[in-house]
Amino acid sequence: MTAERRVRNHTLWFWIFVGPFALGLGLFTYVPLLWSVGLSFFDAHNTVTPTEFVGLDNYQAVLSDDAFTDSLRTFLVFTAFIVPATYVLSLALALMVNRVRRAQAFFRSVFFLPAACSYVVAALIWKMSIFNGVRFGLANTVLGWFGGDPIAWLSTTDPPWYWLVIVTVRLWLQAGFYMILFLAGLQRIDPGLYEAAAVDGARPGWQVLRHITLPQLRATSIAVVLLLVINAFQAFDEFYNLLSDARGYPPYARPPLVYLYYIALGQGQNLGLGSAGAVVLALIIVVVTVGQARWFGLGRREE
Amino acid sequence: MTISRRALLAAGAGVGLLTACGSNTGRGDGSGAGPKLSQWYHQYGEAGTEQAVKRYAAAYKKAEVTVQWRPGNYDQQTAAALLTESGPDVFEGGPTLDQIQGGQVVDLTDLLEGVKDDFNPAVLTPKTYDGKIWGIPQVIDMQLLYYRKSLLKDAGVEPPTTLDALVDAARKLTTKKVKGLFLGNDGGAGVLGGTPLYAAGLQLVTEDGKVGFDDPAAALALAKIYQLYADKSLLLGAPTDWSDPSAFLQGLTAMQWSGLWALPQVQKELGDDFGVLPFPKDGSGSPAVPVGAFGAAVSARSKHKEAASDFVKWLWVERADYQEDFALSYGFHIPARISLAKKADKLKTGAAAEAVRFTTDHGYAQPLLWTPASQTAYQDALSRIIKSGANPESELRTVVRKVSAELDRVKKKS
Amino acid sequence: MEDAVVRVGRALRLVLLIALALLFLIPFYLLVRNGLSSEQDITSPQWTFFPSDVRWGNVRELFADTSVPFARSLLNSALIAVATTLGTLLLASLAGYGLARIPYRHANKVFYAILGTLMVPAAVTFVPSFVLVSSLGWISTLRGLIIPTLFSAFACFVFRQYFLGFPRELEDAAQVDGLGYWRTYWLIVVPNARPVFAAVGTIVFIGAWNSFLWPLVIGQDRNAWTVQVALSSFTTSQVIKLHELFVAAAVSILPLLVVFLCFQRWIVAGVERSGID
Repeated sequence: MTAERRVRNHTLWFWIFVGPFALGLGLFTYVPLLWSVGLSFFDAHNTVTPTEFVGLDNYQAVLSDDAFTDSLRTFLVFTAFIVPATYVLSLALALMVNRVRRAQAFFRSVFFLPAACSYVVAALIWKMSIFNGVRFGLANTVLGWFGGDPIAWLSTTDPPWYWLVIVTVRLWLQAGFYMILFLAGLQRIDPGLYEAAAVDGARPGWQVLRHITLPQLRATSIAVVLLLVINAFQAFDEFYNLLSDARGYPPYARPPLVYLYYIALGQGQNLGLGSAGAVVLALIIVVVTVGQARWFGLGRREE
Repeated sequence: MTISRRALLAAGAGVGLLTACGSNTGRGDGSGAGPKLSQWYHQYGEAGTEQAVKRYAAAYKKAEVTVQWRPGNYDQQTAAALLTESGPDVFEGGPTLDQIQGGQVVDLTDLLEGVKDDFNPAVLTPKTYDGKIWGIPQVIDMQLLYYRKSLLKDAGVEPPTTLDALVDAARKLTTKKVKGLFLGNDGGAGVLGGTPLYAAGLQLVTEDGKVGFDDPAAALALAKIYQLYADKSLLLGAPTDWSDPSAFLQGLTAMQWSGLWALPQVQKELGDDFGVLPFPKDGSGSPAVPVGAFGAAVSARSKHKEAASDFVKWLWVERADYQEDFALSYGFHIPARISLAKKADKLKTGAAAEAVRFTTDHGYAQPLLWTPASQTAYQDALSRIIKSGANPESELRTVVRKVSAELDRVKKKS
Repeated sequence: MEDAVVRVGRALRLVLLIALALLFLIPFYLLVRNGLSSEQDITSPQWTFFPSDVRWGNVRELFADTSVPFARSLLNSALIAVATTLGTLLLASLAGYGLARIPYRHANKVFYAILGTLMVPAAVTFVPSFVLVSSLGWISTLRGLIIPTLFSAFACFVFRQYFLGFPRELEDAAQVDGLGYWRTYWLIVVPNARPVFAAVGTIVFIGAWNSFLWPLVIGQDRNAWTVQVALSSFTTSQVIKLHELFVAAAVSILPLLVVFLCFQRWIVAGVERSGID
């Protein structure tokens, strides 16, 4: 076999393995994506085959729309809550579950179980049962035991109690999944490191955590933070299921995707404006993710 | 569907699921003559409605009509489906201005020849654009204020006839366990819409297509809605929303803004212990009630536009018996035909009669030019005014600016 | 002394864990409590930990309700979730293996093109996707519900990372024995990569079972409803039946919990070796 033929052979096999996937991804992701980008340069009210080219008008409109910039701010606030909260909780759970001697499988299952719940179901429990605004809601019942007045959790904007609802529902749903990532990371740590630390007189607990465990978990931590941020950007389901009603969505706690959904898919189908907003959002995600990856020095290992 | 039908039938038959439509494609299996049409409805809450519309469809002989019952966000589903060939032929919907201007729906003017005057103008006008009719009003829905007579009496409160009186009454009726008024879990921003403006003698869009609330009276009226919220007289975060009378029936609130459709249930559970009111007037305005109607429309992408229009004419123009049945046998609506509304026994006495009177005297429908973009801008502002105590004047200034721009956009297209 | 500190610490940790576990279980408890209550019990101002009368009849009522084809929707969801999982595993693992192991000049570019789609929010491409699928005539078909969702960049990424860390010696031995890529993959790689298949499979299964927006718009015919769509139909009607809603929600997560409990140890193992970082 000549070298050239071998290369051609490899190429053939590469496409046999990757081809079907790449083809599907091209058809069902790249075609719609480019289509969306195309729409963003047109006046596309209620049509996907617009004819009126408007250049950058849609971009200008969406960037000067305070509702859209507000939604970006909402996203920032949400990220500021959810990323550290999930990180700390899932790491703490992993550390504790990893060390517990009895019923480890039980605890792991309990914390992981919510990951099987859909946002529809979780939002239902949160909205209708736990944080129900009337007196029979669980949270209000507990408040009542201490003599407090019922709080309308989702509709009070001052103080913004709805953040408590939104953050806890996602925390409950995803903490277990990230705990598993941390557990896997913990199990990869060489036990010898701990023995060496003990010999050096490091006290179990905080010192070991700071000087051995956390540095060893660095790679996992980076992955977790990255996934958390990407997922926060894509937040849609719980916001939509908790706060929307037949009449629309309140102007607070409205992350970008929810806002774009209402522009582009609502009764008023302004697909041009919606697509422009979506492109802006996607660009932000790319910049943030790539920036974060660079910052953490991710991907260098492979080069 | 490509899955084995027999397996599905076996699984489904046991629990009696196949009463609805037995076919994979949603089109009837029957060998009936004529083209196949699909007709979409949003999911009505009232029991029996779905069976009723299926019965009507089955009775039509010239085409084979299959009903689709759509849960979830209906407007968004129809908007998406209208972009494609596989959407509905006939659907209930606005239709919206953008759908009309975008050529997505068929001109139905001819269907109403000779009977146009029999349709209530309040709901026919928003289906009319450019002198043509784009949707046939099905039934009229309206909203009104329910109050518990006994609770008002105990608190020494008269049924409020002005917005100020409503604010006072709600405050006096609020106790530790019961709130004074329920305007929906969002404090009213969603359901009230333009109602307070109409009650203050203003409107959303004027006859000549200008912003109708660029007036100091608008800010004054909206500030009073904020007062309700600030007084903590409003029920918020109830398990069901304004459209469901449960909060009112369970005694969580003394007054509730809801739809006419709730009337049978309220009547059944409370007997005589309730009354109804329009939204009370403010300043020099007059009381207001919002009315609306789904219009039966035909998709321009339908492969059988003629047949679809014929079906719409048959169902919503010719078959008065079905129209009456649909309006009054399941939920509670006012027939869109004036002649039918006059005839209906159920609408001749008590609270129902009052509701009909409110509709005639004080009904307003959202103008066709009031597009979703304007609606969103206004609703956002209303929510900020009510819940965050934002300054109504400056909020409204922003809305006026956005709505003018939107009105310019849609006028440019015509 | 030191021992006592350690023991107290351990006891504290256990107490904390138990408290957290109870907290995490509350939503499940509420689901069951409300699902088996009467409407009056749910909305009663007096909180009760257990319904005054446990109504198993709610379950029967749910399946007997002709306005929502609940059994049918469960079946649809199961079919879709299984098909999606199998399809995704096949396509993504092949692609992941090709990317990790077969030398090709542009392999990296292909990989980044795949990875890049992870950053595009699905809602962004929603309308064009919908129009595309409908122009293929796939509305209300299982094809339309399944095929467009089979190409998961995330799954492909995980497989590639896993295969990069896969011991090369096994494959080299196979190559020496004259097995090509195809047979090496099926005879050597797949049998030795079970944890990652289980891990990715579980995640995909959950995602498919729980997905909402796509089935809602594609599954227009009620016979094509999935369980999430059926659930949402309980909340969107004008009159909400709380007990039915909760019992439906409880039934809807049961199959998942079973899958989950069976496969969760595999997930840990799979994640551990796939190097998601």
